[in-house]
Amino acid sequence: MSALLEVKQVSRSFSGLRVLKDVSFTVQTGEITGLIGPNGAGKSTLFNIVSGFLAPDAGQILYQGRDVSRMSVPARSRIGLVRTFQTPQVFPNLTVRENIMAGGYKQTASGMAAGLLGTPGARADLARMSAAADATCERFGLTPVRDRLAGLLPGGQQRLVELARACAGQPALLCLDEPSSGLNSEEVARLMQTLQRLNRDGLTILLVSHDMDLVTVAGVIHVLCFGEIIASGALARIQTDARVREAYLGV
Amino acid sequence: MKELAQEVPASMSPARAGSAQLRIWTVSLVLLVLWASVPLFASRSAVDMLVFSGLYTIAGLGVTFLLGQCGIVSLAQSVFYGIGAYSTAYCTTHFGWPAPVGFVIGIGISAAIAVAVGWPVLRLSGYFLALATLALAIIGQVLFTEWDWLTGGTLGIGGVPQLDLFGFVLNTPQRFYYLVWPLAAAVLLLHRNLLHSRTGLAMRAMRDAPAAAAVLGVDNHALKVKVFVLSAVLGALAGSLFAHYVSFVSVDSFGVDRAINFLLLAVLGGAKTIIGAVFGALFITIMPRVLSQFGDIHAVLFAGCLIAAVMFLPEGFGGLLQRLAQRAGASARS
Repeated sequence: MSALLEVKQVSRSFSGLRVLKDVSFTVQTGEITGLIGPNGAGKSTLFNIVSGFLAPDAGQILYQGRDVSRMSVPARSRIGLVRTFQTPQVFPNLTVRENIMAGGYKQTASGMAAGLLGTPGARADLARMSAAADATCERFGLTPVRDRLAGLLPGGQQRLVELARACAGQPALLCLDEPSSGLNSEEVARLMQTLQRLNRDGLTILLVSHDMDLVTVAGVIHVLCFGEIIASGALARIQTDARVREAYLGV
Repeated sequence: MKELAQEVPASMSPARAGSAQLRIWTVSLVLLVLWASVPLFASRSAVDMLVFSGLYTIAGLGVTFLLGQCGIVSLAQSVFYGIGAYSTAYCTTHFGWPAPVGFVIGIGISAAIAVAVGWPVLRLSGYFLALATLALAIIGQVLFTEWDWLTGGTLGIGGVPQLDLFGFVLNTPQRFYYLVWPLAAAVLLLHRNLLHSRTGLAMRAMRDAPAAAAVLGVDNHALKVKVFVLSAVLGALAGSLFAHYVSFVSVDSFGVDRAINFLLLAVLGGAKTIIGAVFGALFITIMPRVLSQFGDIHAVLFAGCLIAAVMFLPEGFGGLLQRLAQRAGASARS
């Protein structure tokens, strides 16, 4: 098994406060990897650095063995590194189908001039995105709502739309930021099944969460606390780790 | 105006396609005949007004598209309108070059300036971006006045030759009408295509949630610059047409008030629709002239109309039309 993502000694400070201190961990190809930690541990910062919304002060992000630390968000997306947001970011004025079609943007290439002229190539691109979106809707159970505006859907479904949209771009590594927040326990259970299914289909997932139920789907878990990885391993091992217990329970 | 007819079927339900299709074709045909016959019975000044509406539709569509599809407030359109006008005026009067060369040069300069200015400025957003484009409009107005060796300053450039299509001289409002509206229709159609393309989808995605669009591989900044350039090209095209229509260009036509008018056009017309630009353009050309009959109070009345329009039609005339079409579609289904 090889590492799809390697975070190497990443540090980041905000106005003198060191939020991440020499953080290193890897995400193995084909695995679900969890990143957990109490509030304020630096999870979001680390996640933003991995996805390209923030640059590290020091250290490297290697993706498929290649240093992507300074690569822009869309460039990372084009090589298969895609994220979701803690508050789901659907395109509210677009229908569910259009949202998911936008997920296929990088699989097509016709430019603005072709779009203006409505060339056969541009039309074919759109038709391909539309057909792919219909298939994705079917896969994620969104067909009944595919013609509704995404902004009018309840929160749980918006999250599903965001997930489906990310998958429509056929990512290699899907990074999920607190995907269970705002979901009820039934929805969380369904989300876990969906993630396991996606993983079986070959998708590598990095899951950032503080939801201990959800992270049971992860094979390997890294625990971040005050900007440092304090433990790594399978869930059972993490749960018995003295430092983790101290961080979470204060005992 | 032809575009109006083409916009309706897209937003209507395909249900009962047969009779609906027939109705649409009939309406289109009636509108086309109406459009073509206007210069035959309307007064010269009315046709003149409609020519200006056509010019403003082209320039205003650029602003409409930026605002409605990308969420960019641009007050810079007067600059590109001016560049288009001055370029062709200068090239045809000083060098005696043919008008199409003047058009191409104006469009080229506008596009180049849009890239050079848009690249840094479009990293801003919201009010800051609007203010930056306002600054551009002010700089444009000052330079158009100060660079009198090029623009004739406050005296302007006179004697811009009339356009000549294969020996047919467009020397009356009636004749110009038949050039400007088909051009406007073509431009509307191109933008409608763009809106329904992959790039149009990316634009709307970027407008709604820029961070999420970036995650899907959309280079927001580059896309914004491209649309800004497209908008500048439309401004320059309209400006060049304007110069040949009125035969005289001066700085009075390219001030900040013109820029505000273009933005007004976009807002009143309904920025989220393409056809809205036509209604916005008709409103800002016809309304002031109608109200001028009431004497000194006309500016106040115009302001009152604007407030009423924004209050009662928050999505503009285009939004109203779209809603009516949807309702018609829904009643056809039931």
